[in-house]
Amino acid sequence: MYQHNGEEIFVIDGHVHLWDATEENIQHQGGEEFIQCFYDYHTTFTPEERQWDIDEYRKYGADRMVEDLFGNAAADMAIFQPTYLTDFYDEGFNTTEQNAELATEHPERFVLNGTFDPRDGEEGLEYLEELHEKYDIPGVKLYTAEWRGDSKGWRLDDEDAFEFLEKCQELGIENIHAHKGPTIRPLNRDAFDVKDVDDAASSFPELNFIVEHVGLPRLDDFCWIAAQETNVYGGLAVAAPFAQNRPGKFSEIMSELLWWLGEDRVLFGSDYALWNPDWLVEEVLEAELTEEHRAEYGVEWDLETKKKVMGENIADLYDIDIEAKRQTFEDDEISQQFELEDHYASEEPAAADD
Amino acid sequence: MSTQTSDGPAPARAAVRDQLDRVTDPELDRSIVALEYVDAIEIDGGHVSVDLTLPTAWCSPAFAWMMAVDARDEIESLPAVEEARITLHEHMHETEINRGVNEDLSFAEAFPDADGDVAAVRAELDDKARVARQYDAVEALLEAGLDARAIVDVRLRDLEYVDGADSVSIYVRDSSFAVTVPEAPLERYLEKTREIGLVSAPADRLFRTPEGEPIDPDSFDLVHRRGRLAQVNMSSQGGICDGLREAREGRLEETAGD
Repeated sequence: MYQHNGEEIFVIDGHVHLWDATEENIQHQGGEEFIQCFYDYHTTFTPEERQWDIDEYRKYGADRMVEDLFGNAAADMAIFQPTYLTDFYDEGFNTTEQNAELATEHPERFVLNGTFDPRDGEEGLEYLEELHEKYDIPGVKLYTAEWRGDSKGWRLDDEDAFEFLEKCQELGIENIHAHKGPTIRPLNRDAFDVKDVDDAASSFPELNFIVEHVGLPRLDDFCWIAAQETNVYGGLAVAAPFAQNRPGKFSEIMSELLWWLGEDRVLFGSDYALWNPDWLVEEVLEAELTEEHRAEYGVEWDLETKKKVMGENIADLYDIDIEAKRQTFEDDEISQQFELEDHYASEEPAAADD
Repeated sequence: MSTQTSDGPAPARAAVRDQLDRVTDPELDRSIVALEYVDAIEIDGGHVSVDLTLPTAWCSPAFAWMMAVDARDEIESLPAVEEARITLHEHMHETEINRGVNEDLSFAEAFPDADGDVAAVRAELDDKARVARQYDAVEALLEAGLDARAIVDVRLRDLEYVDGADSVSIYVRDSSFAVTVPEAPLERYLEKTREIGLVSAPADRLFRTPEGEPIDPDSFDLVHRRGRLAQVNMSSQGGICDGLREAREGRLEETAGD
């Protein structure tokens, strides 16, 4: 939990990966371009002394990930968002199965999401059922710009996609995370267009649509859709690290999001290992809205809002009981490993002492 | 170095630069000169060559195409220019773009595999630029004391340019009175509406919703907010582009220093 002016903020990192972009795993030039592009985003928005070198960035492994996320208790929990890219990477870049190894080792700390791709047809529906049965996934991460053979992408408002969304609804997979954000070479920019979320969200009011990267470079289209569809949420990955080297822009983007979506529908995510919560959480929580933006938009980045954005909002979507988790973390394996037992016990209410 | 040929006077470097200044990065709505995408301008008689580099090697091919074509067309619109050659550097599709632009091909001819239509992409970004520019124009009218009802009702015929002054008079309430506003934000907005043919007849309402419709006074605040949002979107993307360019330049310097 992040200690902020004497208050504790429970942080759920809503967007993390455990990827493998080693040269042995790359089977298409696109795989190399993709990791190089990720690395450009990493260096652009990471303080110089916290930047990784490209080799550790290709594959960092489970132990390092656990330490980065939880070692200094910057994050308390994290949600795996898979990115398959099986045309580019032999074993996939960051699949549910790869994530599952770590997620099942620490089920209290990780939420494991799955995915679907409507272009996989009947086989894809079966795979979704399999993920549901095997891992009881509460959500999916979707990558509409993923290449599959000759296809350079798909849309959430396609008839085929609706069939998969119906299946999600039927299986109780409620959280639909769609990457709608910056183009990543070599993927097609227009395949990340956010407009298809509109029809999908109004057609499936029982599902939650989390637009990762708040639609950038289409923040305007995203906010306008979210203003009308109350089951649309904004994931802060990519916007969050602006706090570190573009604080004025962070203030402006956050002000817009709070104005259009309100404080209940904005969700924190680091996009690990694009950026590392071990410094990012602090940057975001210590960031301030400028005087001008607060006056112009009439919104606040105050303690209550921070608690919601950093954990409470996504806890609602994933039925996570934050107080119960805090108690569990007083002596779970990870707290023992990093000697965080006191950290989680420190604010225990007196009534629970006996 | 500019040189003279017997065919006539060569264009002035400043004139070429001014033409290039009219070309915008369509996603950011900022001049490619201000964004420092222009590396070099060479003038040889009526022949002008321009070198361009964008912030990343994988900038959308459609955007790169638009900037290259616009640069060519703007320069070739100068009477002294016979031909403009554009060379885009360090872009993943530089070969297709340079060939297409300099051989006067269409986007579809230059990129036979591309799905999607460059005209539609341009129209969408033009609309976003219009909405963002409208915000500044409307702010100027608000500052001059006009209210929502008066602003949504302003028509093209209500504007009166004052010679020699950087301001415009706007007649409101059936020409019962006029306010004076700075010309720059209004002109920048009108330049875009002219470009897309949205506001042209004297009776046309000046200001529009993002969808291009006249604005209902009750939704004035929301439309104005959407203008602000369009600006924030563009400048946020500008921040990402700037950052990526800095990272790329930093890496190139490091490599050079090794």
